[in-house]
Amino acid sequence: MRCKGIPASKGIAIGRVMHYVPWHPEPVLGGIEHSEVRAEIIRYDQGRNAAEKELDDLLSQSLDTSSDRREIVDAHKTLLLDEAIDSEIRSLISGDLFTCDQAIDQVYNQYIQEFSQMDDALLKERAADLTDLKHRLLRCRQGLPPGRSLQDLPEPVIVVARDMLPSDTATINPDVVIGIVTEQGGATCHTAIIARSLGIPAVLGVPDALCHLADGEEAIVDAVEGVVYLSPSINERIAFEQKQKELAQKVADALQYLHREPVTLDGVPIEVALNIEAPSERELTAAAYTDGVGLFRTEFLYMDRSYPPDEEEQVELYTRVLRAYGSKPVVIRTMDIGGDKQVDCISLPRETNPFLGKRALRLCFDEIKIFKTQLRACMRASVHGNLWVMFPMVGSVDDIRRVKAIINTVGRELDEQGIRYCQNIKWGIMVEIPAVAVIADLIVHEVDFVSIGTNDLTQYTLAADRMNPDVAEYYQSLHPAVLRMIRHLSEVFQANGKHLSICGELAGTPLAIPALIGMGVRCLSMGRESVGMAKKIICNLRLNDAKSLAEEVNKLPTAGEIEQALQVFNESYL
Amino acid sequence: MVTGNIIVPNPSGLHVRPAGEFAKVAKTCSSNVTIIFNEKEVNGKSPVNILMVGIKCGDEITISCSGDDEEKDLQTLLDTVRSGLGERLVK
Repeated sequence: MRCKGIPASKGIAIGRVMHYVPWHPEPVLGGIEHSEVRAEIIRYDQGRNAAEKELDDLLSQSLDTSSDRREIVDAHKTLLLDEAIDSEIRSLISGDLFTCDQAIDQVYNQYIQEFSQMDDALLKERAADLTDLKHRLLRCRQGLPPGRSLQDLPEPVIVVARDMLPSDTATINPDVVIGIVTEQGGATCHTAIIARSLGIPAVLGVPDALCHLADGEEAIVDAVEGVVYLSPSINERIAFEQKQKELAQKVADALQYLHREPVTLDGVPIEVALNIEAPSERELTAAAYTDGVGLFRTEFLYMDRSYPPDEEEQVELYTRVLRAYGSKPVVIRTMDIGGDKQVDCISLPRETNPFLGKRALRLCFDEIKIFKTQLRACMRASVHGNLWVMFPMVGSVDDIRRVKAIINTVGRELDEQGIRYCQNIKWGIMVEIPAVAVIADLIVHEVDFVSIGTNDLTQYTLAADRMNPDVAEYYQSLHPAVLRMIRHLSEVFQANGKHLSICGELAGTPLAIPALIGMGVRCLSMGRESVGMAKKIICNLRLNDAKSLAEEVNKLPTAGEIEQALQVFNESYL
Repeated sequence: MVTGNIIVPNPSGLHVRPAGEFAKVAKTCSSNVTIIFNEKEVNGKSPVNILMVGIKCGDEITISCSGDDEEKDLQTLLDTVRSGLGERLVK
């Protein structure tokens, strides 16, 4: 039995399937009738009792584990049984005819908000406890069991799920999660990015994966071809074990280039920078063999918490990264939230079209306090290194001018407070909305630099949701339109002496790198796992060959033919 | 209605554990129980509401009871706080 999907993180995994079906709160909304009040109160009581029992079970289980955990569970029990919360919920049900879920949601949210606005750090933490408790209560009310964890597992597993949220992937322990298969998603979704950074083979967008791949069965995840085999034969097992060895060899091979200077055979230096998120030690020490951070994603700061990060927390983090990279540029991207990255601490509108909606910069214009906090933190940290800041989801010169006005306001405020910041911060934008590529010659005068986010640029240009497996065939990262946009942007920015880089997946795609360089791109920013191979390609490339390749590719009408031409070039270079 | 003042001895103030303990004892009282601190008045039987006031170690709070057994209830609560609300106190 085999299933096909999209290879999202290269590698081969051989192991046992574990179904991962986490529960995320989806409160049952709507109102109730007067006659339903008694039944609804009973539902609430049952939910509360079930939650209490879960906590009691946890307490009796953890008799020998850390007293910290016991204290937390104890605290949760205290809060769960609070009579004020309880009576407020009851009165919303019987008086205002709320569903119990809605009542729970509303009452808890009120307290969560109040706690999250307190200055005292210990009290602020209670917001997180109440959020946790609210989830437990809603889940128990809906009669669902707690989910499995991705951290402490008795043996290594291949996780199979319908989808994974950033809050799920954040808990992955790569020692026990050796493969990932999901029904949703594609090569550029968050799960894919995390899987690649952790080096976990992943095949996503596998329709009905949970049906086909039974819990506990043996499976092989071939994330090179994008195929998952259930209950493989002995021969299949042996064949794939061999492939695993060969892949490991290739990776080791590329690693040899890790510390080389990325310069072509004819002496043209290409900057190879890093894409990072919550920076690990490895990503900070990568400063030794990269040309800086080309993309510092900051969304993670806003995930899985009930209140947004305050200024101090951000200053501390940005400073740490800036110091680690010394004089090398660190490009911080302001928070890019909406789309596939829903968060607890900001109330996001429920949109039918989140990728075309109020996300990223548009959201920041609305949530001005949160945006200014991030800008202030960036500027305060700027004295510790070489800071560049870029803005996502820019669609016009209007957007850029609006941002600049806000930057100026923040600068003035800092000046008034006597707080120092670097006067040479470079301000730039992501190119993801095609409009910006079309008016590149007008944009170039308004910014210090750009970075091309090819994932979103491709999706918007080709009108294909990059996370919808149903239209995966239309999302073509090598589509001539995308490549021509890159070429055009590269020409305009080079002519004006301003920096351009690519930070989307394409930058780290070995097949594409020669053509990108041939088009004039001189800076590629990618995940740590791609650096070795990228440098290997660069160090073995001649610029003239790259240019010829780019010209050839520029004439080809389809992504398929382009891919073929790139393959031929790639093979001839091996 | 009767009231009494007392200084909170708990090292981390009335955080969730002692607040829970206070509320537990308060619930056994037939009187209405309120804690007054910093011009705020909260329901003494609700740990969450006690928490929100943010009472720290050394703060003086006023406990107010009103009901048939208010004198006895007040004494019980003052004693409970004095003895540390279930926490070990550093002398």
